[in-house]
Amino acid sequence: MKGGARALRPLLLLPTAAWVAAFFLVPLAMIVAYSFATISLITLDVSFGLSLANYRELFDPLYLSTLGRSVVLALGATAGCLVLALPLAFFISRQPPRWQRVLLVAVIVPFWSSFIVRIYAVARVIDDGGPLEDALRALSIGSGDLGLAQTRWAIGVGIVYSYLPLMVLPIYVALDRVDRSLLDAAADLGAPARRGFRRVTLPLALPGVLAGCVIVGIPALGEYVIPDVLGGGKTLMLGNVVADQFLKTGNLPFGSAVAVALLAVMAIVLIGQRLARQVVR
Amino acid sequence: MNVRRHLFSAVVSVAVLLCLWLPLAFIVIDSLNANELLATWGGATTRWYGEAVDDESVRSGLRATLTIAGASTALSLALAVSGVLWYRRAGLRGRRAFDALTYLRIMLPEVVFAVALFLLFARLDLQLGTAAVIVGHTVSSSAYATLILRARLSVLDPALEDAAADLGASPWRVFKRVTLPGLLPGMLAAGLLAFTFSFDDVVTSLFLIGTDDAPLPVVILSKIRFRIEPEISAIAILVLVFTVALFAAAFAVVVRLARVSGRSLALPEER
Repeated sequence: MKGGARALRPLLLLPTAAWVAAFFLVPLAMIVAYSFATISLITLDVSFGLSLANYRELFDPLYLSTLGRSVVLALGATAGCLVLALPLAFFISRQPPRWQRVLLVAVIVPFWSSFIVRIYAVARVIDDGGPLEDALRALSIGSGDLGLAQTRWAIGVGIVYSYLPLMVLPIYVALDRVDRSLLDAAADLGAPARRGFRRVTLPLALPGVLAGCVIVGIPALGEYVIPDVLGGGKTLMLGNVVADQFLKTGNLPFGSAVAVALLAVMAIVLIGQRLARQVVR
Repeated sequence: MNVRRHLFSAVVSVAVLLCLWLPLAFIVIDSLNANELLATWGGATTRWYGEAVDDESVRSGLRATLTIAGASTALSLALAVSGVLWYRRAGLRGRRAFDALTYLRIMLPEVVFAVALFLLFARLDLQLGTAAVIVGHTVSSSAYATLILRARLSVLDPALEDAAADLGASPWRVFKRVTLPGLLPGMLAAGLLAFTFSFDDVVTSLFLIGTDDAPLPVVILSKIRFRIEPEISAIAILVLVFTVALFAAAFAVVVRLARVSGRSLALPEER
């Protein structure tokens, strides 16, 4: 390009840089600033400073248990996704290419359907007196009164249902790349199929498993809509606490502190994943 | 199918796929069920689809959704195109920072981003509403659009633009006649993805819409919080068909793109 155009080149960055700075970085900085501010609950005046009061409130047993529940739910749902996705991804990767494509489409299309519609579908199925209870009654498992609706288990089911494809795809990609001759070699050396899976396939699929866990775990941790709809709108997860402080209570500094805590937990997960990846290598 | 050798994984796979599809099947059946209480099958009807289409909140929701998705898609594309054009000739450090901010916009829990933007608007005394939602969606959508366009641009040969410039084309003409046509398939895919994100989004919309007409996913959210009704199922099915079609279109474009660029990548070696 000619000299004049080259001088103008940095200008190309300007729209993105301005947009991201104004509507992403500045708001995030404001969240941090607010988390150290205090609010008068009578006049709702916010005074900025370096108060740790909001963070101290986080250690209130009510919020500590919410934090704990969020982490447990996110971990549990991630584990649930993993347990279901691993056999599914393995099965798909062992099919002839044409069937692989059919099965992948079968996994992805429900994921393409609107997020809110998927949550509605889960609510419909696990509702009291809904199809799931009918099915269990027909199979005579349990009394038929599941009482699953509006519980933390329902939230777990909802997260697993809506995030499962995000776990299947990276694991499938990793499994698909596994060199079959390694398995043949293991078999030739006398390893039974199960052992070949445990000692060869699984370790090689581990990077995909890790990627899937992060892709599912992080958004699950900050989930707001699923607990809101399936958990009956109680303050069940951190995302709901943040949302309630902003939409209902109006205690913006405390809501900001919860948001920062959410980011901190997320950062810990990401760092943990990075360390785990180094160990895997 | 290769079933017998992997009996365990086959059984789990079938069960999982059934669990993925059955809930959606139930909604389809609900939407056609004449029995309002949905307890038993009361014969087929299209009444609920009629009610869904006539529902004023659905209509205004669809209008709001299309406005927001259209505007944020256009903005996202503008940001992403200029961003990746800069990126192509940027230094390593600049690229790293650019990438980090792109991924961060996708990874950040949406609820955190939504309340952060809510704070900004409140602090500046700006009114929440359709414009605020467009601003918010553009932050996320432009990140997705950037990822797709970056991939597309990396397979475009800069020599073509240099050649055009050497032949005397002005920079604007080079952009219009060489760069832009090369980017176009990527822009189509990126635009569809940005549109789908906005069309599907609940959280950002919920926090920033204020008292303006709520977009469709927010309308659905407020309807489903406590009830399960055939009319909601009909709305859900209509939304679902539209979203799947959009995604399928975006997917087809991306697949096509991958094939075409694979071919053009092979060209220089054959020469």
